[in-house]
Amino acid sequence: MPGNRSSSFLVLCAFALAGCSAESRTAGADLPQTPPTGAQDPRAARYERNAYQVAQGGRYFTWYGCGGCHGSDAAGALNLNGKLWAHGSDLDRVYRFIAEGHGDARYGERIPVEQLWQITAYVRTLPRLKPEKRRRQDVDQVGEAQGDNWTGPVLP
Amino acid sequence: MSDPRTPAVELGKLHVSWADAPGIRGFFTTVDHKRIAARYIVTVVLLLFLAGMLALDMRLQLARPDMERMTPQLYNESFSLHGSTMLFLVSVPVMEAMGIWLVPLMLGQRALAFPRLAAFSYWLYLGGVLMLWVPHAFGITPDLGWFEYPPLSGPAYSPGHRADIWAQMITFTEVAALAASVNIAATVLKMRPPGMTLPRIPLFVWAMFLASLMTIFALPAVMMVTSMLIADRLVSTQFFAAAAGGDPVLFQHLFWWFGHPEVYIIFLPAAGFVSMIVETFSRRTLFGHAAVVLSMLAIAALAFGLWVHHMFAVGLPRLGNDFYTAASMAVALPAGVQIFCWIATLATGRPRFDTPLLWVLAFIVTFVIGGLSGIMTASAPLDQQLTDTYFVVAHFHYVLVGGAMFPLFGAFSYWYPKATGRMLSERWGKISFWMVFGGFNLGFFPMHILGLQGMPRRIYTYGEGMGWGPLNLVASIGSAIAVAGGVLFVANAAWSYFRGRAAGPNPWGGSTLEWAAPSPPPQHNFDAMPVVDSLTPLWTQKRELAVMTGLAVDRREVLVTSVVEAAPEYRQKSPPPSTAPLLAAVAVTILFVGSIFTPWALVWGAVPVAIGLTLWFWPQRERSTTGPLRVRNR
Repeated sequence: MPGNRSSSFLVLCAFALAGCSAESRTAGADLPQTPPTGAQDPRAARYERNAYQVAQGGRYFTWYGCGGCHGSDAAGALNLNGKLWAHGSDLDRVYRFIAEGHGDARYGERIPVEQLWQITAYVRTLPRLKPEKRRRQDVDQVGEAQGDNWTGPVLP
Repeated sequence: MSDPRTPAVELGKLHVSWADAPGIRGFFTTVDHKRIAARYIVTVVLLLFLAGMLALDMRLQLARPDMERMTPQLYNESFSLHGSTMLFLVSVPVMEAMGIWLVPLMLGQRALAFPRLAAFSYWLYLGGVLMLWVPHAFGITPDLGWFEYPPLSGPAYSPGHRADIWAQMITFTEVAALAASVNIAATVLKMRPPGMTLPRIPLFVWAMFLASLMTIFALPAVMMVTSMLIADRLVSTQFFAAAAGGDPVLFQHLFWWFGHPEVYIIFLPAAGFVSMIVETFSRRTLFGHAAVVLSMLAIAALAFGLWVHHMFAVGLPRLGNDFYTAASMAVALPAGVQIFCWIATLATGRPRFDTPLLWVLAFIVTFVIGGLSGIMTASAPLDQQLTDTYFVVAHFHYVLVGGAMFPLFGAFSYWYPKATGRMLSERWGKISFWMVFGGFNLGFFPMHILGLQGMPRRIYTYGEGMGWGPLNLVASIGSAIAVAGGVLFVANAAWSYFRGRAAGPNPWGGSTLEWAAPSPPPQHNFDAMPVVDSLTPLWTQKRELAVMTGLAVDRREVLVTSVVEAAPEYRQKSPPPSTAPLLAAVAVTILFVGSIFTPWALVWGAVPVAIGLTLWFWPQRERSTTGPLRVRNR
């Protein structure tokens, strides 16, 4: 049954590619460093389907103090675990709201574009992240500088 | 060569009752310890080649400063895969394999105590090999080294499945090693030939016995700790989360509680090889047999009291560091006693410098150097300086390659004629020996100096200004020579398998029972059960080996003897070939692989495992398949 064999080979290849992109780990940005062009920006898969990029987004989420208001026990609209996001859950809208929707924090100017992509990816996976898993990850990162604990240089 | 005292009719029956099914069915059902061990060894040689290529790749990367042919990520994956393969899939399994092959032969037995468990052990080991290397083919490779400390390997910092794959590969190989160890320990205790009292046990059998006991005590710790890691990652337990009351240092304690004894689990069988080879090639009984046995015992006990010397830099209490420094120094005493006994044997015997003995001499030199650098790294103050430098890389390659691989190559050369019926080419054996020995020392000695100069381990490149370039180049050239020598060694084995000179049953004039069997041994090993009257039965019973009769020939039967005196106690049915070990191993594999994705795999995966084990232990009335009632079953 050559047809059967070749189709199972294709399945194997698809699995291989999927495995690659979900698990691959690259240092440094190699995509154009610009905000998303729309809800369907093809660069999204590169961040949102990759475990490493999402995890990096989680770290920056704590570093920039997002967890202060949007922690796992936040109430109402601040809670990102639910599906009810006031400003939309599309890629470009989430990105834009993080960058421009936080008033004086001016994240769009203070956070590099690559990291904003990663944070966006992390935020968009939050509704699928089990609360105990999110707590477990936070517990591991509690020792890292976050928000007010940061003692390094700060951009004006 | 068959024993003339066994009538031809009985011999024919023996062949029938111990034969495997022909062809592919026999391949999957065999419980013959020799076939299983051969399988283990072929797999190990393949992995040795792959991991050796990884090493060569890394040495190429480090040969010059500022090289960019590997990314940091690829380098991390390379050393993790190299280390995990060498430690978990090569060193321990190959020693178990040598035990599975040699112990029954040295005891004059027809089978191990639990033949099906040995088959199960191999299939599960193969599962571990595939667990690590199949994902690697798909680009999912563990990248945190051969010990993956949390929190780095925890859920926050190691997303994806790389760390799970590493942790579950360990579960596979450790269950396989436990299965093999229980088997060997039971065989040594209860299946020695009549007359082989405790003082008459050959040293390799002692070594395998002690290594098996150590395995049984040490390996559950690492299986537990990697399972805890998987639980932390999969179901968000907090074993290693400091902020939630967990303890990341617990991981290190439990890991090294296994990790340090593991070094001796690898080294003790190697010491067994060395003892046997030294005895045969010095042509005299080993000097200080009792002293060597006692030193092995001392090493086996002390090995469990040293693990903290892998953790001096963690920041444990000073008193703890002092105690473990002292304990680490203490292990040098029994190791020294052994080495002096081997040297005394060589000095007072009439040594014959064939390839196996050359490997042993290389072992003595290299292992002593590794032991000296070990004393340096084992002292807490010096270790603060040396830890995580290339000095450590040099040290553990000297003890592992020098202390285990050189004796192993010696053992391959020594028992190859027994296993295949053909001699290895001495000429190519000697050439490959000098290449490996010379290349290894050229490659790894400079790493001591690099380490003292401050070169850290696990870096993918270094700047030209550091001045490490020339020594690294020398190290790379040496490694390449050693790898080429290793390839030549294997090529020699492959060539000799077809073209080698025919070997008689005892080409080296060895003293232990395996040399009384034909080369290669038939499936039932010995036509009649040998009876032993000394430590070196083939040297004391010159004319004809005494044998014991009375074991059945029309079905698989083995002799069980008492623990201390090895007095015959009863005849025991030995299980025939079966697909059950393979099926059970497949079921366990499904459970293990599934449990890195969902905790429910533990629940539903237990069902096929239960079915597999039930099939395995399904009672079978012996005479319904072999005796007069056989007709009914057709």
